[in-house]
Amino acid sequence: MTGYVLRRAALSIGVFVAMAVLTYLGIAALPGDACTALLGKFATAGKLAQCRAEHGLDAPVLQRLGDWMLGLLRGDLGYSVKRSAPVSELIAPRIRNALLLAGVASLLAFPAAIAVGLATGRREQSKVSRAVDSTALVAMTLPEFVTASVLWLVLSVWLPILPAVTVVSSDDSLLDLLPNVWLPAITLAVLVFAHVMRSMRASVSATSRRPFADAARLRGVPERAVVRRHILPASLPPTVNVVAVTAAWLLTGTFVVEVVFNYPGLGRLAVDAIADRDTDLILALTLLGLGVFIVASFLADTVIRLLDPRVRAGVGRA
Amino acid sequence: MKYKMSSDRRSRRGRGAVLAVAALLAGAAAAACGGGDSGSKGVLRVAYYAASGAETMDPYDGNRFWPTINMVFDRLIGVDKDFTPIPELATVWEPNADLTEWTITLRDKVTFHDGSTFDSADAVYSINRMIDPEFDSPVRAVLGIITKAEAVDPLTVKLTLASGEADLPVLLADYRALMTPEGSQDTIGTKPIGTGPFKMEKLDAQGTTVLMANEQYFFGAPKVARIEMPNIADAAAATQALSAGQVDLMLTIDAKSAALFSDTSKFTVQRIASGDWNAIDFRVDQKPYDDPKVRKALRIAADRQALTDLVLGPGGGVPSCDTPVWSGDPYRWDGDCPQDIEGAKKLLAEAGYPDGIDIEIFTSDVEEHMVELVEAYQEQVKAAGIRVTLTMTDASSYWDNVWMMEPAFVDSWGQRPAAQVLNEVYRSTATWNPTGQADPELDAMLDDARSTLDAGQRTEKYRAIQQYLFENTATFVPYHKTLVRAMSAEVKGIEPVVIDAVRWEKIEVG
Repeated sequence: MTGYVLRRAALSIGVFVAMAVLTYLGIAALPGDACTALLGKFATAGKLAQCRAEHGLDAPVLQRLGDWMLGLLRGDLGYSVKRSAPVSELIAPRIRNALLLAGVASLLAFPAAIAVGLATGRREQSKVSRAVDSTALVAMTLPEFVTASVLWLVLSVWLPILPAVTVVSSDDSLLDLLPNVWLPAITLAVLVFAHVMRSMRASVSATSRRPFADAARLRGVPERAVVRRHILPASLPPTVNVVAVTAAWLLTGTFVVEVVFNYPGLGRLAVDAIADRDTDLILALTLLGLGVFIVASFLADTVIRLLDPRVRAGVGRA
Repeated sequence: MKYKMSSDRRSRRGRGAVLAVAALLAGAAAAACGGGDSGSKGVLRVAYYAASGAETMDPYDGNRFWPTINMVFDRLIGVDKDFTPIPELATVWEPNADLTEWTITLRDKVTFHDGSTFDSADAVYSINRMIDPEFDSPVRAVLGIITKAEAVDPLTVKLTLASGEADLPVLLADYRALMTPEGSQDTIGTKPIGTGPFKMEKLDAQGTTVLMANEQYFFGAPKVARIEMPNIADAAAATQALSAGQVDLMLTIDAKSAALFSDTSKFTVQRIASGDWNAIDFRVDQKPYDDPKVRKALRIAADRQALTDLVLGPGGGVPSCDTPVWSGDPYRWDGDCPQDIEGAKKLLAEAGYPDGIDIEIFTSDVEEHMVELVEAYQEQVKAAGIRVTLTMTDASSYWDNVWMMEPAFVDSWGQRPAAQVLNEVYRSTATWNPTGQADPELDAMLDDARSTLDAGQRTEKYRAIQQYLFENTATFVPYHKTLVRAMSAEVKGIEPVVIDAVRWEKIEVG
């Protein structure tokens, strides 16, 4: 297990560094820089030169990359030119808000999705099961902004019981933020529920037909015990992977929902940072996103190893 | 509209489930919408949805936090509904005979929010910062004509100009020409002290900015006790917030969203002709635009009314005959410039293009309408044998690499009074003359108009300049935009005029 963890860690660091270099070069290759974004239409050559010198943007790309990496080793994430603030100060409250949103959406979606997937997967051909599956398919394919708009109209305008958009600051207390998290969280939960539920349903359905399940039934094991001891553990690993990827997405990929509800999470900051050519901020957010995916997939693999004796024994692994 | 359509499609089927979830969440919701949020008596909540993250309260900085600066600070001179100058911190202004020196009398017994007295030293300090070549404030484009500001006595300021300017009062009414305390350069950006109707309580452009009424305001205490300005990421989200009653006022909304606020028992929608305009600029130092015949052909081949309706939506703008002077400006020339396909063909043939002409226009979605303008223009001028290639470019480097650089490109300007816009954009020596057109005759006409004392004669001269431009300019100006402002029906006291003329202290809620 230790060797496995070390291998994974080494690989993750490699991916991390490669990603940093690619991102840095990618931003450098884009037209415009942080100073053109900051100064806008009436930037004079003199003002641009002054701004670039002030923020070190006139140095060669590789030198800047090197400086940034050295800073990173010291724990310095850099400085946002457009927002005149250290990157760490900008993203800290956003990370908290993203965790809150992802956490609430996960709690709303994952347990229910696994339970409904298990229930409908065992009776795949029943009318209810098929209806649930079709509804989930629709929920999955609807663009997020459509789901978001419907929820907004119903819950904020017609009823109205929830705030339409977040109007508190990104660094306000969790208590102030909490009422605002529901609409974005429900929107995300609808989507995530559909994904995870369908994955679980397919997995349970396949497992239920496996010989070991039938063998257990023939041995006279009660159906509840068959499900709990045999079907559920064997069906979970593929779903755990889906849950991991989805959870990582909930932390980093929720731009549309954040914009629709004005929620101060990480996605919107990332998109704004790219438009502003705010290199240090983009890098910090990109690497944060990458880190989230690496950790999520590592956790998923570890959980699967614990759940599935075949993986632990190296059987069935490529 | 977007929201309406999607709800109709989805609501019936999804409602039961959504309601069930909603019922579960009702507890949390009560906390969200209860208390002060619903009543908002005495609080005006203005949606701020242009946050760049670089906002500063320094009114002379390019990243000034608008419209907040106009709540905290005052100008020397304001503008009335008809855009004539009215007293603000100045009470009287008198020019000398050739309009090169202006003596300005300041309002007595005005105090800043920190209790200190406003006097001529503050006014001189403020004007010097506006015109400082090193600081290079955007306001310098307006008031750069001032060469010297001096305090004659505590309540009198003398301004010396580089040349006679009859419209100095109008230029001083620029929304950024605000008065700040002497020596405040280093602190004003984050700790603004003004004389205005509202004091800064909490400055947070990325979050919620809070301002409190200045009870001592010299025009009388403001009607609302508090202004809150939550930052909302984009206009669509701000529209949602207004529909749901989370904010009271949006200073501009997308004209297409106006239908969302058609219920007059809940909302007030104002349509305001403004001075914002788009243009297609042709560089006169590049072929074929060096030929005035080509330039005129390119301009007269367009149907401006149809173009306005196509790009801005019906009623979304006021067509213009290539004048940058907007319909609310007393100097505006209302020419007649119908689409003239035959005339354009003839001019092109005379210029050596009997089989029509191929041109490339650069644009970008850096601001709204800039792409649609070229698309609509492209279709309209086909009939005259003008074949337009639209080239999209990157938004973030547009102003740096495309604007004023490529042979033909789309432009966008905010409202400016005639005396400013003509000198800032059209004069030969202007830094931001986008077409590179240097015309001594036009410069002479501008000098003559600005130094004419008699208002009637001056108006005639400014109108003649615009007529002259229609014959010669390399800037195609099809329209000025009409802004749509939306607010809760509870909000009173906002006249349907451009924001420069809105008096924040007169706004009431409920």
